[in-house]
Amino acid sequence: MLLIHCPYCEETLPEAEFAYAGEAHIARPADPMALSDEEWRDFLFIRSNPRGTHFERWRHLHGCGRFFNAVRDTVTDKFQMTYKAGLPRPDLSAMKEAAE
Amino acid sequence: MTTHDREFRAAGVTVGELAPRLRFSLRLRPDNLPQARLALGLDLPEKIGGLVTAGQRRALCLGPDEWMLDCAEGDRPALPAGLPHALVEVTDREVTWRISGPRAAELLSIGIARDLAALSPGKGCRTAFGSVQAVLLREGEDSFTLSVWRSFASHVAGLLAIGQRELACGL
Amino acid sequence: MSRYRIPGKGRIDHARPVRFTFDGRVIEGRQGDTVASALLASGIHLMGRSFKYHRPRGVVSAGSEEPNALIGTQRGGPDRFEPNTRATMQEVWDGLTTESQNKWPSLAFDLGAINDRLYMLFSAGFYYKTFMWPKAFWDKVYEPFIRRAAGLGRSPALPDPDHYASRNLHCDVLIVGAGPAGLAAALSAARAGAQVVLVDEHAEMGGTLLSEPQLRIDGAGAWDWLAATLAELSALPNVRLMSRTTAIGYYHENMVGLCQRLTDHLASPPADAPRERLWRVRAKQVVLAQGAIEKPLVFDGNDRPGVMLSGAAQTFLHRFGVKVGDRPVVVTVHDSAWHTAFDLAAAGMKVAAIVDLRNDVAPALVQQARTLGIEPLPGHTVTGTTGRLRVASVRVAAVSGSQVASGRRIACDALLMCGGWTPSLHLFSHTKGSLRWDAETGAFLPDRKTEACQIAGAGRGLWGVAAALDDGAKAGALAASAAGRVAGAGTFAVSGDRPGRGVVVRELPTDGNPGRAKAFVDYQNDVTAKDIRLAVREGMRSIEHVKRYTTNGMATDQGKLSNINGLMIASEALQKPAPEVGLTTFRPPYTPTSFGALAGYHKDDHFEVTRRTPIDAWADAQGAVFEPVALWRRARYFPRAGEDMHKAVARECRAVRSAVGMFDASTLGKIEVVGPDAATFLERMYTNPWAKLQPGRCRYGLLLGEDGFIRDDGVIGRLADDRFHVTTTTGGAARVLNMMEDYLQTEWPDLNVWLTSTTEQWAVVALQGPNARKLLEPLVEGLDLSDAAFPHMAVAECTVAGFLARLFRVSFTGELGFEINVPARHGRALWDLLWQAGQAHGVTAYGTEAMHVLRAEKGFIIVGQDTDGTVTPQDAGLTWAIGKAKPDFVGKRSLMRPDIVARGRKQLVGLLTDDPATVLEEGAQIVADPSKPLPMRMIGHVTSSYWSEALGRSIAMALIEDGHDLQGKTLHVPMEGRTIAARVSGVTFYDPEGQRLKV
Repeated sequence: MLLIHCPYCEETLPEAEFAYAGEAHIARPADPMALSDEEWRDFLFIRSNPRGTHFERWRHLHGCGRFFNAVRDTVTDKFQMTYKAGLPRPDLSAMKEAAE
Repeated sequence: MTTHDREFRAAGVTVGELAPRLRFSLRLRPDNLPQARLALGLDLPEKIGGLVTAGQRRALCLGPDEWMLDCAEGDRPALPAGLPHALVEVTDREVTWRISGPRAAELLSIGIARDLAALSPGKGCRTAFGSVQAVLLREGEDSFTLSVWRSFASHVAGLLAIGQRELACGL
Repeated sequence: MSRYRIPGKGRIDHARPVRFTFDGRVIEGRQGDTVASALLASGIHLMGRSFKYHRPRGVVSAGSEEPNALIGTQRGGPDRFEPNTRATMQEVWDGLTTESQNKWPSLAFDLGAINDRLYMLFSAGFYYKTFMWPKAFWDKVYEPFIRRAAGLGRSPALPDPDHYASRNLHCDVLIVGAGPAGLAAALSAARAGAQVVLVDEHAEMGGTLLSEPQLRIDGAGAWDWLAATLAELSALPNVRLMSRTTAIGYYHENMVGLCQRLTDHLASPPADAPRERLWRVRAKQVVLAQGAIEKPLVFDGNDRPGVMLSGAAQTFLHRFGVKVGDRPVVVTVHDSAWHTAFDLAAAGMKVAAIVDLRNDVAPALVQQARTLGIEPLPGHTVTGTTGRLRVASVRVAAVSGSQVASGRRIACDALLMCGGWTPSLHLFSHTKGSLRWDAETGAFLPDRKTEACQIAGAGRGLWGVAAALDDGAKAGALAASAAGRVAGAGTFAVSGDRPGRGVVVRELPTDGNPGRAKAFVDYQNDVTAKDIRLAVREGMRSIEHVKRYTTNGMATDQGKLSNINGLMIASEALQKPAPEVGLTTFRPPYTPTSFGALAGYHKDDHFEVTRRTPIDAWADAQGAVFEPVALWRRARYFPRAGEDMHKAVARECRAVRSAVGMFDASTLGKIEVVGPDAATFLERMYTNPWAKLQPGRCRYGLLLGEDGFIRDDGVIGRLADDRFHVTTTTGGAARVLNMMEDYLQTEWPDLNVWLTSTTEQWAVVALQGPNARKLLEPLVEGLDLSDAAFPHMAVAECTVAGFLARLFRVSFTGELGFEINVPARHGRALWDLLWQAGQAHGVTAYGTEAMHVLRAEKGFIIVGQDTDGTVTPQDAGLTWAIGKAKPDFVGKRSLMRPDIVARGRKQLVGLLTDDPATVLEEGAQIVADPSKPLPMRMIGHVTSSYWSEALGRSIAMALIEDGHDLQGKTLHVPMEGRTIAARVSGVTFYDPEGQRLKV
């Protein structure tokens, strides 16, 4: 049972209040009809599924209701950070340097 | 507030269903808060979990653009037509209990995974009681109100009653 | 009767005798006894038969690691029966009934013991070998044998009448284990003001201190110090002490699961008391002070009743005042057993000898043994034992180098063994914390941590009470500091401590043939040293494979006693050092945990949430038959006396088509979409156009996923320019709202529109049938209900029977229909008024089954029944619902994907059986030509199928490959024993022109 920091509530809360919502930073194309079949297929189905750092979306379903983004390690399961929806993908190497 | 007949008294905690109170879900962008505050005569809190009361109206901030607005019967709060917002009555959607007594927080801990010590009096949150979504307000140190959607009420009330019996038997 | 009880000794209450039964025999114990200690006090060592060979077995340990003494316990009635309870943990009380396991016909004479003679059939990997051949033996011989032999004990046959509780708990510091390290940690943390939870699996806290009364701590006797410490802790408001509480699992972010046993030790528990309570503890810091578990020694005959761990004998003596025998022999590779022998001798037992494989035993120990009249035998081994139901003698032999001299027998009635101590790191392993081999202590010790925890005392290889106290105090202070308190570690003055040291061994050396030795490594799964060597010989290289091939460590004790011995023997066979072979993984739960505790409140009425509508009680009173739909229970039909479902549904359908039916539609999902961009939002979400829908009008809405497949549907009414009342399917309500929120928040956050679930704000009564208007009209105020003023697909706010209402003119039946939404608290009152008023119009309540039939007659789909997540609007024949002029909506692009426009997709069609009386089975497969050889190609399946009362025949809908091109073709539905022919048709079976709506 993980603890998750909601970037809107600014509280770290039990996983039971949250729901997973798939990989992050996959924006719906502005004009889907302009895409080739292959581009549309990639948008629909192709996901990164990494071992290690994963950018993903969660929703504070039983809380503020907001979707937000998270960086989570798929090996340890643990969250490295969370941030609001719409913010750019964080620069993890810069964060690591700052921490060192 | 009046309480219904479903009130129990067991070791240190009572659970009483409250009569329905006029309740709205208010949604608007935080940029528009100043106008909304003016129109409602209520200092809508910006921080999630914050609660304000003015006269018979009170508002709990549930999300960055969401407030639970409780009013007296007959009150019809309104916002200017030009102000983008949503005001939807949800009075009948919910059932609310008052849970009070020195062991109120302990009783709630049978279903709520949050640390209730982190919820100070005068604050509230949307959370889950077991698998059931709920809005919890800490009215005082030993007093809470818990709201769930109507169809879940018998389930949650049953769990609260089991919990009360457990507390009463002392084990 | 209790010949082995020492009057006045131990922590039991000698003044309070307790009587319980074991295999029908009345045993007298004392208040404070466990079943094991009470049986030992009566001279009973034989407590069970082993799993595979049915060998007689006695108690080995005094704690939860016990592999042998598993018993069935019955607490009161026959429904309170539990198998596999450890006799070392079950406390006795007047009236407790216990039984031994795995024996037939009796514990002392067991026919299954023949397996012991058939060793070759049951050696390592026997699951994979013995039962392979001949094939014909499987049904008649092997399977019955496995079924009889599988598992331990007998399963409870009756429903569990007890109830189980659960709680969430948050604290600064959770301490697992209330021995010296845990107690010292609790003192440091509690004195610093931290919120402390201290748990211990035993009835009494104290751990080792309970078995070492000779200790003095800070000038007080160990037991006085313990009492004072517990008194101080329990007086602190920031401390919670929980005995009989096992930490069963250590999960992410310092969540620890605790199972608290509340009533199993009580003769008459309070009526409402839960039997067990599962705690989900979230701690800022965890201190693991679980101590160490003594290792058995591996030698021929090490499983005879009477052979037990030396520390267990010490615990039985000091804690329970029980002598484990009159004439014990000790065999050890560690100093601690010497001290046990001295304690036993001091208590009046005649310790015959102390056999120690080590040559260099401390001279002081040897000297003390001599003083006490015990024969010290350093440099000796044990090569065998005798005795059938109880050990009678032990064969000892001198060892020099690799030579084992011929031995001699020493008579004994107990053999106490000590192979050293294994730090108890199961919980630490749950966190994926890594272990490292420590040559100094000869044990795996905690290395890299993944959670905010401290390990204290024997858990990290510190032997002795003084070291444990100091280490615990430091760990407690560290934990409290990390949790934000200012903490210091106290120090303790300890005398009488006996830390000791030892060596690590594999099997004891023997002069016999190791290939014939019955030297057990895992008692519970009957795994011997030669099984492990055989596994290596047969090619197992990884310790994980050795474990699975031999089942070593796979019993309910998860190898608490056997893992290290198994590893040592495997490492020798593999000729690799132990750290390279590595350990297998420990997983939760730490000890077996009842399903009840894990289920908690989720039983009976609370097994899962049952959502009820405001009209549910009325339906219940009418004798409705309910069905679950998502979490709701819905009235399926309302049978009258003598009616089965078929008759009731036919009657309900007739009433709707000929008069008027009333239907509780409250469960329909409702979402209020409000804001200046409401229409824009719906344009993007749904396939249909919304911009031009006038306020006061409704439209059927179809929702796709981005993949183009149908997700949901429902009627959407426009109440005002900026306000829509969206309905969804009952099961789809939460999913649709989540999907809408997702798009709104993350794709189109610029839109000024908000979504509010109003499913439960409104109770909904559907009136359907030619008399619907006649029934409703007199009750409506503020609205002209005529067809001209309020046509099909209109919506308005008005009052109905005095209640403010949202009235929809909609039809899911093909008849004139209305859906009346009133605030939920008035739903029942509205229903009652309509019911009363409807009597004059032939009103009939109908349930979901009739609703399904009526909509199928009209060819209306049920999302999730006629669609399965792979059905597009084209497939379902719903292209009319797509706004062709819209540049985009969710799923639009996918409708052009090559796979979606290709031929061969399954399409929704009607099916009419050649025999009108035959009703197809839903889910039945469809073939084109039943004369083709098997396996036949299946081209589709039946999705909906009913008896249509209105048409006087059966109707069905089906998804069939290119079905839209097969109109009029005859297809076949093969069923058991017959094949049913059916003709493909359109899906609108009844009133295809829609005349019945135009009234």
